Amino acid sequence: MLMIKRLMTQYVPGMLTCKDVDSFLYDFHEGQLSIAENLKFKLHLSMCRECKTYVQGYKNAIRISKEGVKTAEPIEKVPEELVQIILKSRIKK
Amino acid sequence: MEKIKSNSMLAQDQENHLIDKLLVNDNKAFDRLVRNYSSKMYAVARSFLHNDDDAQECLQKTFVQVFIKIHTFRRDASLSTWLHRITVNCALMILRAQKKQRTISLEDFSQHYNEYGERTTFSDNSGNNLEQIFERQETKTVINEMIRTLPEKYCNVIQLRDIQELSTKDTAEILEISEASVKTQLHRGRLLLKAILEI
Ligand SMILES: [Zn+2]
Repeated sequence: MLMIKRLMTQYVPGMLTCKDVDSFLYDFHEGQLSIAENLKFKLHLSMCRECKTYVQGYKNAIRISKEGVKTAEPIEKVPEELVQIILKSRIKK
Repeated sequence: MEKIKSNSMLAQDQENHLIDKLLVNDNKAFDRLVRNYSSKMYAVARSFLHNDDDAQECLQKTFVQVFIKIHTFRRDASLSTWLHRITVNCALMILRAQKKQRTISLEDFSQHYNEYGERTTFSDNSGNNLEQIFERQETKTVINEMIRTLPEKYCNVIQLRDIQELSTKDTAEILEISEASVKTQLHRGRLLLKAILEI
């Protein structure tokens, strides 16, 4: 598989290298690659286990920041006491 | 800031009416302002600050700013967008003051390629699922802490773009950097987080 990958990335015009995958990754995730770029990106992933894992890790990192914060469970309602302090701070001025 | 607008507590005409009253120093209007908007603002502050005490301090500081600045409010943005922006700025100021900058740099985790541009660092963790990762980190608080210890510029864009899901444009505006910088810093921040989490 390694040799096939190397031959393809070196000799097939337009094939992405792993390095190219890095520079396309952000736009891939944002859904901003052109159709052709998107195809090339996915083609590379289909034959490169390293990049496939790498891209999955990138997606996971994003999900983890979202999930981690969402479950932090902040208080639902601002306490009346705090509302009063805030309102008083205006009148003091 | 579509997301904030759609979540706002008041309809547009009600908001306009409220602004009119605020601009003539109507006490009841201020009462309404605090009661209608503070929960949403609190949630924003809390997503940056991760403990209730800091978020409450942030909310107080934000309203001090709001009371001072309300007369400079121009209706080119909605009231909720304007409040959101002040809340974020206050939260960032508090974070900045607290931050004992741990210097983790992306270079420590930079990618390696061989002469063919092939990835040479590889960890076989394809079996990792997120549940396992959460378990491994024990609590989500640890993850929050990790995000907070990222260098400030990465931490801020992750907060605004990935966690609060603001657009690139709005993030650029709040942080006063270009949209291109938002993209670069977000990408680097994600990579750094990925490297720290070893995923
Ligand atoms: Zn690859």
